[in-house]
Parts: sequence; structure tokens; C-alpha cells
Amino acid sequence: MKLGVLEGLLFVTGEDGLTLEDIEKLLEITKEEAENLIEEYKSSLNDEKRGLKLVYLGNKYKLTTKEEHKNYYELLVDKVVSSTLSQSALETLAIIAYNEPITVGQIDEIRGVSSRDMIRKLLFRGLIDLAGKSDLPGKPMLYKTTDKFLDYFNLSSIEELPKMEFNIEELTKEEKDLFMSKYKEEGD
Amino acid sequence: MQYKVTIENFDGPLDLLLHLIKEQDIDIYDIKIEEVTKGYLDYIKAMNDMNLSIASEYLVMASELIEIKSKMLLPKKKELDEDDYEEDPREVLIERLLAYKQYKEITSEFKNLELTRKLVFTKEPENLSYYAKEERSKEELGISDLLEAFNLLMQKKELDKPIATKITKKELSVSEKVVKIRSILKEKKKVNFEELFEVATKEEVIVNFLSILEMVKKDEITLVQDNNFSGIVISLKEGE
Repeated sequence: MKLGVLEGLLFVTGEDGLTLEDIEKLLEITKEEAENLIEEYKSSLNDEKRGLKLVYLGNKYKLTTKEEHKNYYELLVDKVVSSTLSQSALETLAIIAYNEPITVGQIDEIRGVSSRDMIRKLLFRGLIDLAGKSDLPGKPMLYKTTDKFLDYFNLSSIEELPKMEFNIEELTKEEKDLFMSKYKEEGD
Repeated sequence: MQYKVTIENFDGPLDLLLHLIKEQDIDIYDIKIEEVTKGYLDYIKAMNDMNLSIASEYLVMASELIEIKSKMLLPKKKELDEDDYEEDPREVLIERLLAYKQYKEITSEFKNLELTRKLVFTKEPENLSYYAKEERSKEELGISDLLEAFNLLMQKKELDKPIATKITKKELSVSEKVVKIRSILKEKKKVNFEELFEVATKEEVIVNFLSILEMVKKDEITLVQDNNFSGIVISLKEGE
């Protein structure tokens, strides 16, 4: 019975999806039972007779269609127009994702162009969100990526972000100190 | 050297610089600043010739490049002190370029991820407001709610009333009010600011306020406020 309820819940919530805690609470079961239930439902969908699959995207469980059926869905429309994000949108999102929370000023600094309009567009699309105010002069707003961002890029959680080649964290301590001291000088 | 300038879409001056560096096949860590600056300025000039508007960011970068170039032309000071060591003027630019390049390159991975995600579809969540409404009406609404709503309505009507009669009250004058406030103060000694405003119409409030200002001006009363946003206490000046 619970399997059926889970399926219904996933159908009803659609792209909003359910967290593991949601499932525990709604079905009044333990975490372990919930995980088993999810596993059971997931494998039942593996059958090629089924058209959906259970995925974990943007920190939520949700139902999606299967990749191999994509061609059939495309037949539903006359012309396939795939709208993807622009290069500058991707750039801005990447900068936010690896540095969140971050201010518009800091994004501009990295990109070398004003990102204000882009931020507005990304906010509107729900890919980023406000994350409070920074302590910098003027208390500018901070921005972070959302669960919708993770879902959009087929990521389960923020830990799944593609690895950067080199990161400030990965620098040796000496390099880091050098970097920081130089940064300080510039700030003076 | 002659540069062939092709106009492409660049996402800002850093993007353009990276493109020039790649085109000229030079090591990013050892930028030939003269060549890059020339290429950059050629590009800006070409944009200008084609009557394309140039975003101000490009001009800022152009001036930065020229600054670096001129710094590099200056003869190096002899450093006596270790601390006096001058950094390579290009260093800041190189660091910015490297950082930008990093993000630019990783966007291709995001592009792939985006396309992968687009292979599958999710559906919009169902609209459950029908259930939400039902639940609330069962739990929260009853006769008492109806009564409350009715009372609120009556109160609103009550508040609306004075507006219909305010025309007759228009003759309120500041001097009259001053007398009234003075008598209140004489009787009570100390009065909260709000207490003086227990009046119905906007006009009265304004006249009241003007009267208090007038009395302050004439140095008749003192206003005391202990903290920000706390109540203001009004009292008559000593000896009045």
C-alpha cells in the first residue's frame, strides 16, 4: 500500500519533489523504511514496461521520464526549440555556485563586466536566490544557487558540482598566504 | 605586425583578452603586453568603425592595459630594500585572466549537464489548493469568526463616520489647541506624546502636532525621550 501512496505523492508533487524527511513524515515510517521503500519503488520502475524513473535531483526525489523515450515526446510538438542558457548566464551561475554566497560586485570583478541584469534574470528563473547581506561596505546583497539550479544541471546536491581544476582551497599554505598578503596590499 | 580583426561575440573584456591570447598563441603567464594591447585596441577600433557601441567595461580594460604597458616601459627602480620589491604590473591581470578562464572553461561541463537534464521531463506539481481551502474552513471558521468579521466591519464603519462630519470641526485653530494642551499639562504635569493624539480626524492630528511644535518654539514645554522609538514625554517648562 505504502508503495502506491509513495507513487501518488511523487506524481502529485511533480517537479517539486519530496525529501527523504517528507516521505518519512507523510508515510509515518522510519528513515530506514523510507530508504527501503524508495529503493523498492525505484527498481520496480526499472522495468521497460514502465515509462517513468525515480531520480534524486536538487536535494529531492522526483519522477522523470526516461531518456530513451525522448524522441517520442518530441513528436508531440511541430518544431523542437530547445532553449538553453546563454554563455554569460552559465558563466555567472558557475561563479556563484563555486563562491556562494557572493555579491554582485564580486561576480563583476571576476567576469569583468556588469552582471546586474543577468542576476535579475537568474533570480526570475529561480536558479539563484538571495542569501542575506554581506558585511562589506554598503551591505550588498548576497546570492546563492537554489535547488532548482541543481535540478537544472542534473545534480543531486551541491557536492556534485564539477570539480574545478584549481581552487584556492587546494593551494598550499604558502601560496595561500602569498595570495592573501597580496590581496591585502591591493585593498590598502 | 598586421592583425586581422574578426568580430565575434565576447562576454566582456576578459573574454576578449583570452581570445587574443589564444589567437596569438602566447603563454598566459608571460603575456606580451604590447602585442595584446595592440590587438585589443585594434578590436575596439574595429568595433568603433562598425558603429558598434562599445560597453564601458571594454574601455576600462583598454586603459588598464595601457597603464600596465606604460609601467613596463618605465625603467626599473633599483631596490635597496627587500620589501620595496615591485611586483610585475601584469600579475594582477594574469591572475584575473586565470580565474576567469577557469570559470569559462567549466561552463562547458555545465552545458553538458544542462543538455543531459533536458533528456528527461518532470511535470508541474498538482494544484492542491482545493484541499488546502477545505481543511482550513473545517478547522478555523465558525460562528465566532463570522461575529468577529461583523464586528470588524462595524468598527470600520465607526471609523468612517467622523469623515462625514469633519467639515464642522474645521475651525480648529492652533492657538485654541495650545490653550487646551496647556491646561492638560497643568493638570497632569507629564503627558505621553500619544495621549495628546487621541483624536479622531486627520485635521485634528495635524493641528495638535502644529500646536506642540508652536509650544516648543515658544519654549513653553520640554520633550523628553529616553531611548530611540520609546515614548516621548511632554511636560511644562519649570516656572510656567
